[in-house]
Amino acid sequence: MNAKSNLYRKEKIYGFLFILPPLLGLLIFTLYPMIYSIYGSFTDWDGLGQMNWIGLSNFTDLLSDELFHKALFNTLFMMLGIPVGITLALLLALGLNRGVPGTTAFRVIYYVPVISSLAAVSIMWNWAYNGDYGLVNQFLDLLGISGPNWMANKYTVKPALIIMAVWKGLGYTMLLYLAALQSVSRSYYEAAELDGANGFQSFWNITWPMVRPVTFFIIVTNIIGGSQIFTEMNIMTPTGGPEYASASVVFYIWQKAFGNFQMGYASAMAVFLGVFIFVVTLIQFRMNEKQSFDVD
Amino acid sequence: MFKKKGWFTLLSLVLMVSVILAGCGGGNDKASSGSNSGGETAANTDKKDSGETKNLTFMFRGGTDEQKAYEGVVKQFEADHPNVKVKIVVTAADQYATKLKASITGNSVPDVFYFESGDLKAYVNSGILLDLTGYIENNPNIDLNNIWQYGVDLYRYDGTMAGQGNLYGMPKDVGPFALGYNKTMFEAAGVPLPDNDKPYTWDEFIKVAQQLTIDKDGDGKKDQFGAGFNVQWALPAFVWSNGADWLDATKTKVTIDEPNFIEALQFFADMQLKYGITPSTEQAQTLDTYQRWMKGEMAFFPVGPWDMSTYEKLPFEYDLIPYPAGSTGKSATWTGSLGIGASAKTKHPDEAVELINYLTASKEGMEALVQAKVQIPNLIDMATEWAADTTTKPANKEEFLQVVNEYGRVLPGHYTYNAEWYSLFYTDIQPVLDGKITAAEYVKEEQPKMQKLLDKAVEQEAKSKK
Repeated sequence: MNAKSNLYRKEKIYGFLFILPPLLGLLIFTLYPMIYSIYGSFTDWDGLGQMNWIGLSNFTDLLSDELFHKALFNTLFMMLGIPVGITLALLLALGLNRGVPGTTAFRVIYYVPVISSLAAVSIMWNWAYNGDYGLVNQFLDLLGISGPNWMANKYTVKPALIIMAVWKGLGYTMLLYLAALQSVSRSYYEAAELDGANGFQSFWNITWPMVRPVTFFIIVTNIIGGSQIFTEMNIMTPTGGPEYASASVVFYIWQKAFGNFQMGYASAMAVFLGVFIFVVTLIQFRMNEKQSFDVD
Repeated sequence: MFKKKGWFTLLSLVLMVSVILAGCGGGNDKASSGSNSGGETAANTDKKDSGETKNLTFMFRGGTDEQKAYEGVVKQFEADHPNVKVKIVVTAADQYATKLKASITGNSVPDVFYFESGDLKAYVNSGILLDLTGYIENNPNIDLNNIWQYGVDLYRYDGTMAGQGNLYGMPKDVGPFALGYNKTMFEAAGVPLPDNDKPYTWDEFIKVAQQLTIDKDGDGKKDQFGAGFNVQWALPAFVWSNGADWLDATKTKVTIDEPNFIEALQFFADMQLKYGITPSTEQAQTLDTYQRWMKGEMAFFPVGPWDMSTYEKLPFEYDLIPYPAGSTGKSATWTGSLGIGASAKTKHPDEAVELINYLTASKEGMEALVQAKVQIPNLIDMATEWAADTTTKPANKEEFLQVVNEYGRVLPGHYTYNAEWYSLFYTDIQPVLDGKITAAEYVKEEQPKMQKLLDKAVEQEAKSKK
């Protein structure tokens, strides 16, 4: 008995030791800043000096802050890229899964943007979107279309950013789908074929439901990532774009915190964003539970 | 068994303590300064061997040419001061503000660092900047009269108004944003060259620029323009020379709705809308006007001293003139500057100030920086000599000095606790430039919004002084 408890204790200690480093990392770099910024969101902290408790007034200010509303709208608007990206990625994955010649080359081509630095990619696209000399407009010129100055026009700046984000994320999403497609057993398709199902029917009744968990994962992570979009606009439209049309919530947080000495207010926005992401993700999980079914 | 447990308890205790300490370091508890603020100030925490090597950190920003120039000067400084070691922390310009503010929040302010004049009040009120007055005004090695007063005054603050009182920084340089013109283009078109000293009136400017705005190949698209102005950096020149400004004298009221302001803003927009001398926003972003100028397709373009090394290779002759003058009859323009200050908590204030002097006020330091063609000399006697040398481009470098001495001004954000209210002006301005609304309509709508942000900044400033 005694020997067993000794062993148990020893294992417990080792167990603790092993999880200690990540646990400490979590405490110091995640939990502590999080609590600090929640506290900060109730103060008028300027990031330098005293913190004075001001209750909820940062949050009530958010309600009437026009730029915050714009930034929030922009952030949500740019999520329109998510369904587009998912559709394209799935189509590509389906194509590659069929064994088109040069599959490996295609995989590399679509995956290169994923591993490229976001900053470098942003600078490159900024050139491509240049109104006079940009690649995009030169291409449109060939088709007889005179393209706009993408980044300087409030109507085109968001679509421009969406296109870039879709391009950037495509390879990753495609790879996930490809893996999912390859794990679908051939026997389902054979059975469907015997029953006389056409291509679309077998896609709709087999492929789509079978890759559902992956679709769910992609949607959840994309929405979380999309809520935190920042680098692209910071590099491509450093002032927030024409009439603030490309500023995201994180961009606005960053401006307030590091440009205008309003760390408390920025913290309040960060808390808002955190809660928003949490709630949206929770809803998604709930919906997923309801709709899920068992495949035996 | 017991032994092991004790060891574990000890370890956990150590870790707990370190977590708590890390917590203090991250906060704004001033007393715990440097106790564990890793990274940047780690260098100056080794008290033991003071008297031998003194370690300083110097944080700055700049383009590659500038970084190289400053790194070279710091090396020279170390050679001249064998007991001082300088650790350089350098970032690209757009990341600098974030990094500096993060290190301030994290209580690890570098010993010597660049800062924007607009942030002066906030930093002084929060006790971040070292008061340099005593170190500099009585220093026999520094002749403040030989340094641009405009630059030095930018870093003075008496607790109420920026521009007077104690000195909290020294100008890294002053950046007069003069107006350049393409001399070759004037000669080719047979247009008389502009006067170096007598500014154009607005009408004259439009006429000359229109003569130089040409559709060369007859395809219906203009391919040579009179001018290209970025609203953010060039509008102040037109507003100020028309006797208007963004702020009143007390720096608490937004005055963009006054007639002179409206007139200047409308004129700025009309250069494209009515007179067609500048490319429209649809035709060009800043980068493109810059490219057009570089290709010799633009008659007038603002030129800063930082452009000189690049413009050396231009395929045409260029020179500097004063900006066209509005109703005041006098030119005006923005003159930038970046300050170098020291941390109020530095362990080696004497050496930190010494480094600042070396970078901003010493002959040795200045010579190296001017040679790299990244700035004009801070020292007036050196600058006069430099401007008189007409063998380097542009010939009329004198204009830069006149800007600093006579008609250069600081952007209004410098006077306020933050510049949020001022940024908003440019955030919303596009419809005016596109002619969708008039200047008068714009300022009417914008003034209250900007005033609200300014009021907030004033209120914040009052709080920060407590």
